[in-house]
Amino acid sequence: MEAGWRHAVIPWLAQAPAAPALNMWNAPAGTPEIWMKVGIAMLAGFGLLAALIAAPTRLRRPISGAFIFLAGLFWVLVFLFPKPIDSQTPHEQRPRGFVQDVSFWLADAIPVVSNFSNILTAFILGLGVFSLVRIHLMRVAKKQNDWPFSVVLLVSMVAMATFGYWDWKTRLDLGGAKVDEAWPLAAYGKDLLFDGMLQVMEAAMFSLIAFFILSAAYRAFRIRSVEATILLCAALIAMLNLMGAVVVTWDGMIESFGKDNAFVMNFTLSSVAGFIRDNLQTPGIRAIDFGIGLGALAMGLRLWLSLERVGGN
Amino acid sequence: MANEKTIWEKLQAIDRRVLYTLLMVIATVSLFFKVNVPTKPGQPTKDLYRLLVDDEALPEGSTVILQSDWTQSTRGESAGQMEALLRILMRRNIKFALLSVADPQAPLVARNVIRAINLERKAKNQREYQVWEDYVNLGYFPNAEGTSNAIAANFKTAVAGRKETPPGSATPLDVFQSPVLSKVSKVEDVPVYINVTGSKTSNILIERLGGRVPFAALVTGVMGPETLNYYQSGQVKGVAIGLNGVAEMESLMEKGLVETGKPEVKSFAGETNYGRGMAYYLALHTCLVLMIVAVVVGNVAMVAARKKK
Repeated sequence: MEAGWRHAVIPWLAQAPAAPALNMWNAPAGTPEIWMKVGIAMLAGFGLLAALIAAPTRLRRPISGAFIFLAGLFWVLVFLFPKPIDSQTPHEQRPRGFVQDVSFWLADAIPVVSNFSNILTAFILGLGVFSLVRIHLMRVAKKQNDWPFSVVLLVSMVAMATFGYWDWKTRLDLGGAKVDEAWPLAAYGKDLLFDGMLQVMEAAMFSLIAFFILSAAYRAFRIRSVEATILLCAALIAMLNLMGAVVVTWDGMIESFGKDNAFVMNFTLSSVAGFIRDNLQTPGIRAIDFGIGLGALAMGLRLWLSLERVGGN
Repeated sequence: MANEKTIWEKLQAIDRRVLYTLLMVIATVSLFFKVNVPTKPGQPTKDLYRLLVDDEALPEGSTVILQSDWTQSTRGESAGQMEALLRILMRRNIKFALLSVADPQAPLVARNVIRAINLERKAKNQREYQVWEDYVNLGYFPNAEGTSNAIAANFKTAVAGRKETPPGSATPLDVFQSPVLSKVSKVEDVPVYINVTGSKTSNILIERLGGRVPFAALVTGVMGPETLNYYQSGQVKGVAIGLNGVAEMESLMEKGLVETGKPEVKSFAGETNYGRGMAYYLALHTCLVLMIVAVVVGNVAMVAARKKK
């Protein structure tokens, strides 16, 4: 009886490969049924949100804490629970038993739960857009400082979204190849705004980093101590090693002096830079990564168990 | 008069605007010269080239997953990497499924590079890569961690619902009906998973894919040292790092790869191999020389000023 319950419910919840293609969670694309289900899901979501807002203040933290715990528990189980050897084994060929059932259920549910987080992230993008529009509309309405820049931002945002969506729709309707050939207004507008303006400005903005790096290197790399001298030497070797012409020339010179002498060959630029990279730089980064990993684990545990106190509590 | 700075003091405090102007002039002028600067490819790039070109590692005509996670902010490095990679894949008739997790702009940027390489092939009377037949664009997934987890667990479910319009058709069809993904249902079904990235997505993939599939990364110079950790541990089979990596890749494409004790890997001599990597490589050299000269001048001036005191 218990096994029957598991075998009925687990694949249904996880949308396992053996589960029917259409179940209560989905419907054929574009049908009224799917739109109705989307509407119901949105209403339920807003209802839950409203209930959470209406809940007494002292209950909000335990409620959100419970959701956080459940969400985290899934990934903890995925990490700790024994994994199936092949998660895509056909349903009827899967081994039976509690451990096997749960491990297959967890494996099947990963894409579903990941989709939840993808959707939440998409909502965050939407929230960002909403917040940006609200702030800048207010600034324009109240004619606050630099309000013309807000107008530029809003106009750019609307233009980019309009042409982006129009181009996407045209490509969907006509096919990408035909759009590239005919180059209609939608594609032209998108190209001008996206490739001609946004992308170029983004590249220009990030290329400014080179100027700051040069200025900072000139001012900071001074041999004021032994440590600074070691750092400077290592940096110079790393920089020289990035220059193929220097590496080829120097290494060629060393090879011509002592091709058969293993000791001399240690002084090729690629060997010295490789030694620094493999024995000093990479292990150093590995150690830092370990530290960051432990810190993230500790922080993750605190968040998962709602031990983290924020907002001045 | 007594407060007038000596030449050594002045050289210790060169105005940043002078440095900026020098850098701008040197970088710009260098871009006008087309010089094939010699390179000595490092082992990570050689391994990447072997993985992409060796028929045993990546059989001709097979399908790879290509995760493109860069935008114009890292164009100097990532665009050259993407172009070199696409040239190799297209010359070897390797199909690819393109997806992005880092930035909503990334799929569009990748599509532009595909179009540019296709135009290059068209000009040489070579077969253009066709969407649906040769590649599919799975689009953007807005959560790197979650998407990587889902791909590792069940690729087919992770990208379910993504559609592409076949040429000559007005109806978008499921990407798994395309010749590109018809034989792929899990990530283990592809011989190589490739990530061209300007951020940490390669690390996330390594953590989440967990060795299910040979993984290759083309990363920026900033991410290079961190990625080398995974290369040293064998979790990444080959890496091209930054602009230097692009120039090395292009050099290998032109000259091929001969290594002691390993089978020779063919070159693509006679084709357009030197591209954006070599175009920018001279500028990398001259800008690094400027940086080294600036650092040396600052230090010499500091030592000379101290001695004088």
